[in-house]
Amino acid sequence: MVAAPPYNDSMKAFLLLAALPRAAHDLWIEPTTFFPALGQVVGAKLRVGQDLLGDPLPRSTPLINELIAVDSASRRALIGREGADPAGIARIDNAGLTIIGYHSKPSVAELPAEKFNAYLKEEGLRVPPATKSPVKDSFLRCAKTLIQSGAGGADRALGFPLELVAEKNPCALTGDLPVRLTYQGKPLAGALVVAFNKRNPDEKQSLRSDAQGRVQFRVDGAGMWLVKAVHIVPAGADWTSYWASLTFERKTAK
Amino acid sequence: MKSLWLCALSLTAHEIGTTRVVAIIGEQYKIEVTTDAASLDEKLAQFGSFEDAYPRRMKIFFDGEAAQLAIARTGDVIVMTGAVPPGTKTFSLKNGWNFSTYALTVNGVTDWVDGGELSKPYSLEARAKSDVVRQYLWLGFTHIVPLGLDHVLFVLGLYLLSGKWRSVLWQVSAFTLAHTITLALSISGIIAVRAEIVEPLIAVSIAYVAVENILHKELKAWRIALVFGFGLLHGMGFAGVLQELGLPRGEYLTALLSFNIGVEFGQLAVVAGAFALVGWRWSEREWYRPRIVVPASVAIACIAVYWTVERVLA
Repeated sequence: MVAAPPYNDSMKAFLLLAALPRAAHDLWIEPTTFFPALGQVVGAKLRVGQDLLGDPLPRSTPLINELIAVDSASRRALIGREGADPAGIARIDNAGLTIIGYHSKPSVAELPAEKFNAYLKEEGLRVPPATKSPVKDSFLRCAKTLIQSGAGGADRALGFPLELVAEKNPCALTGDLPVRLTYQGKPLAGALVVAFNKRNPDEKQSLRSDAQGRVQFRVDGAGMWLVKAVHIVPAGADWTSYWASLTFERKTAK
Repeated sequence: MKSLWLCALSLTAHEIGTTRVVAIIGEQYKIEVTTDAASLDEKLAQFGSFEDAYPRRMKIFFDGEAAQLAIARTGDVIVMTGAVPPGTKTFSLKNGWNFSTYALTVNGVTDWVDGGELSKPYSLEARAKSDVVRQYLWLGFTHIVPLGLDHVLFVLGLYLLSGKWRSVLWQVSAFTLAHTITLALSISGIIAVRAEIVEPLIAVSIAYVAVENILHKELKAWRIALVFGFGLLHGMGFAGVLQELGLPRGEYLTALLSFNIGVEFGQLAVVAGAFALVGWRWSEREWYRPRIVVPASVAIACIAVYWTVERVLA
C-alpha cells in the first residue's frame, strides 16, 4: 500500500499553484469515453496543459499530420469539422483495444534562453543549455489514447516519430505496466518518462528508460492516467522536439 | 466570418485554443473572456472557488500596477469591469488560466498570446488622428474585400440587376445610407439586435436580391426601398464587427466614419471589379442577361440559401 502524501489539502492547493505555470505544456487525447460499447461513436478531445488540466485544442487542419483510429482490423482517419472540439470522431468497430493517435506537424516556438533551459530541466532533457536568445524549437506532438471496448486487445506502434507503447493492456492489469519508448522506430534509452494519475498529479513517477527503451510504472489508482516523454534533437542551430503522450483509464484501483 | 478574421492573423501553425479575450479600455475598462466552461470548471475544482481563485491567475496591469478586478461569470463568459486610473499610459494582461495560445484584442488590436504569459504593454495614449483614420479605413475596406464574402455577393447582386449605371448608383446609395444609419445607432447603443438574428437575415437578403435579379430586369422603386431595408440589416452586421474591434477612446467618431468610408470603398471596389470584368464590354449584349446575370444570380442565391441554413443552425 502506498502511504498518503505527507501534506494536507491546503498544502496540495499551494503546491499546485506553485507548480504553475511551466515553461512548456503537454498535449494529450481525452476521449469522450474510455470504455465505449461496440458501435459507439467516440470523440477525441485534444487537450493542452499540464497535470491533465488543459484547454481544448479544436481541430486545425494545418496542424494535423495524422489523426487516426487503429484497431485489430483497420487504420482510419478520424472525421471532424474544422474548429470543432472534439477534434475528431470515430466509431468503435471492433472489440478490444482501439488506439486513437494524433501526430502533429511541427509548430515553431521562439523562446528566451531562460525559458528554453527551464523546459529542458523540467522535461529531463540532457542537452547543453542555450546561451543565446531566442531559441527556435519546432515541436511535434505524438499523442495516443487507449480505448477499451469489451475485453482484451493490445497497444501497438503506430509509427509516430516518438512513441510510447504500453506492452500490457493497462485497462486490465494487475502487475506493473511496462512501457516502451521508441524514436524513429528504435528504442530510446536514457529518456525521462513520467506517469501520473489525474486524481493525484503531484505524485509523479519519473523514470529513465533502459537500453530497450523500457520503463515500468505502478498504475494502481483508478481514473485517467498520462504517460509522457519528450525527446529533443538539434536541427542546425535550432532544435526539433518530440512530445509523446499516452492516456488510458483504469476503472478501479488495483 | 469571425473565425476567418482570426485565421488571417495567424501566420504559422500554432496550438490555438478556443479562448478569446477582448479588452475595451477607455475611462472605464471592460474585459470579456470567452472560454471553455468545462475546462475552467475542472481547473477551478483544483484551485478554489471562482470568486476567490479566478482573480489570482487573471491579472491586469495599468502602467505595470496590478488592478483590482470586479468579476462576474455567466457560463463560458467572464466579464471584468472597473475604472482606469486617470493618466494611465499602458495596459497589459496576464491570463494564467489558459495553457494554449489565445486571442487577445485590446481596443481593436489583436495578438496571439501564449497562456500564462504576460502580454505586451498596449499604449492607451491618444493616437494621432491620421493614424486612426488609416487603420479604420483599412479595417472597413478589408471587412468587405476579402473578408466579407457575404457583403461582396450582396453588392454583386445589386450590380447585376441592370447594366445601367443609374440602377447601380440608386441601389448602392440607398444601401449605403441605410447601413450608415444602423451602424451609427448600433455603435452608440441606441439599438441592439442580436447577431443570431441579424446574420441569418443578411444571408436571406442576399438570396432575395439574387432571386429578384432572375425574375426582373428593371429597377423599380420598391427594389430601392427593399435595398434600403436590407442596408439597415447589414449596418447592424458591420456594427457587430466594429464592436468586436473596439473603438479608440478620444477618436470615436473619427474611427466610426473612417470604418464606414472604408466599407464604402470596399463596395465600390466590388462594383468596379464587376464592371471591369463583365459590364464594360458586354452589358449591352443580348446574351448578357441569360449567360451572365442569370447564372451568376443563381449561384449567389444558392450560396446565400446555404448560408441562411448554416447561420440559423449555428
